[in-house]
Amino acid sequence: MSTEVGAVGTGTAGPTIVRQRAPEHAGPGAAATAAHAVGDASDRGARIAAVVIALAWHLAIGLPALLNSWSRLAAPPVVAAGWLVTAAVGVAAGVRLLRGGLPPARLLAVALLLVDGVVFAAAGERQLFTAGNWVWGGLAWFFLLVLWRRPVGWLLALLGAHAAIALAAVVLHDATAPADLSRYAMYVYGISSLPVAVFAGAAAIAALARDRASTAAAALAVEAERDAAEQAQRDRQARLALASGTAEEVLAALAAGDADPADPAVRGRAGLAAARLRRLIAESDDVPDPLLHELRAAADLAERNGLPIELVAVGAPPELPVEVRRRLADPATAALAGARGWARLTVVAGPDEVVVSLVTPDHDGPDATGPPGGDGDGPVEHLHERDGEIRWTQTRWRRT
Amino acid sequence: MDADPVAEDVTGGPPVGVAIVDDHPVVIDGVRAWLAGEPRLRVLATGDDPDVVLRAAPEAEVVLLDLRLHGRMVLDKLAELSATGRRVVVYSEHTDPETMLAALDAGAVAFLAKHEGREHCVATVLAAASDRPYVPPALAGAIVGDPRPDRPALSDKEREALLLWFQSMSKASVARRMRISEHTVKQYVDRARIKYTRAGRPAATKAALLARAIEDGLVRPEDIGIYRSQASADRPTP
Repeated sequence: MSTEVGAVGTGTAGPTIVRQRAPEHAGPGAAATAAHAVGDASDRGARIAAVVIALAWHLAIGLPALLNSWSRLAAPPVVAAGWLVTAAVGVAAGVRLLRGGLPPARLLAVALLLVDGVVFAAAGERQLFTAGNWVWGGLAWFFLLVLWRRPVGWLLALLGAHAAIALAAVVLHDATAPADLSRYAMYVYGISSLPVAVFAGAAAIAALARDRASTAAAALAVEAERDAAEQAQRDRQARLALASGTAEEVLAALAAGDADPADPAVRGRAGLAAARLRRLIAESDDVPDPLLHELRAAADLAERNGLPIELVAVGAPPELPVEVRRRLADPATAALAGARGWARLTVVAGPDEVVVSLVTPDHDGPDATGPPGGDGDGPVEHLHERDGEIRWTQTRWRRT
Repeated sequence: MDADPVAEDVTGGPPVGVAIVDDHPVVIDGVRAWLAGEPRLRVLATGDDPDVVLRAAPEAEVVLLDLRLHGRMVLDKLAELSATGRRVVVYSEHTDPETMLAALDAGAVAFLAKHEGREHCVATVLAAASDRPYVPPALAGAIVGDPRPDRPALSDKEREALLLWFQSMSKASVARRMRISEHTVKQYVDRARIKYTRAGRPAATKAALLARAIEDGLVRPEDIGIYRSQASADRPTP
């Protein structure tokens, strides 16, 4: 008995088999990734718009207002420093957003709120409701940047904090006349509504785009599966016609007395026809697994050369890389070329293990498979042995 | 393909009475011809209705039952017969693993694929008559590939023996491959089968298989008692 364990060699001399591959339909994971890509692409436009709005507002409206009211502010350098910090936050968040990432929301939100409080305090009582207190309207757009793609509740909370700081300033500066309070209310509403609308709109558009893309991907996958099933059905019908034809010939000859059941040749023909029909009956998969498909093709080929072959598959193989599938199937298909008498090809598959085995009667001829070579620790174990009774080729993949 | 050395204690006694239920006369004739060559077996009655056949031969010790009668799967009839202690060997061309495991769950003593041939058929019937397991290769494949989450826990050796037996159909080759004796191969395979007596609903036939296995020393009661704990019990029994 010779037992050789090793990875499958690449130079096995096998029969030339025209392999029809079943369409490799994208799994649900792939479809989700594609949908995400579409969602991301449509999100990118919204990111650019948000960054441009925030920085343009800061430069074109915030900066002139700050410079114009410089002399009237209580502590102009502090207000200016707040403007610079906000600009830095905006640039940092903008760069992250345009590169496809998300800015560190908590850190930047805290920085913005600090700036908010400091500027309200440093603007002074008389400049509370003027353009010089630029944080009123300018800061909300930066909230949008730092909270991009976060839950809309976070934005509302930040705007709420902003409103609370402003209210504290209004109260502390003692600007509590009805006119001041109504101005305060109008400001809060005015600065909050637009950013919230933009934020929610961008999120909704991205979600819609993702949905549409994933629906399209799912529809494509279903269609691919249907095509594969129809192809399999056609193949099977063609083979059924062939198998029935062979069986009918033998049966007709037997019935007519033209063929003698004692004749080994007649028995051989009957055995072949029966094996073929049995294999067809045993096929229960709608969309053939690529591994089973390859093995069936090899079995069909061997059978056309007159070898009665039995193919029994238990379980459904998981999705396997092409290389693993090749290493699983090739030794068996190669060994089939040297098989004489009969052959039994089996596949036992589970989610974590697939074992393919070919057993044929032993004979004096040389092995069809070359010596196993290559790397010893591949994912597929290959065993080939002959013990005088049978030749046994087994390949085994285990999930590592 | 080698069949098992048959149960030793039926050799001396009277032949085992067999009833055959199939809706194809040609199959009945074929199976009858297979069994006729075996002096330890005698066919008592045949027909296409299990009730009629068993009324004709109530003393039949083993019933060979085609799982599909007149276009209908008779798993319910199988369960009914097994519950009353009838030793039913199912033989069928429906060899998908789900069907085979369902037949075991329903209480079949053994499952034989129709194409598995005379040796397996005779060996299965003889083993069934003495409440001993016999696992033909197709059934070994179904057990080793059982995907159900609540399947009985098999040890690594039991799984490997089943897998190799399914692949090669030669216990001698399995023994050489696993470097153990043929007797031990058979023990691993049979022990795996016995673990399935605890799957599905209880049946008198399952209890009989289990009792005989314990009597033969194939399994110990504590091995079979708690499912998840027996995976390590790998020692071949003497």
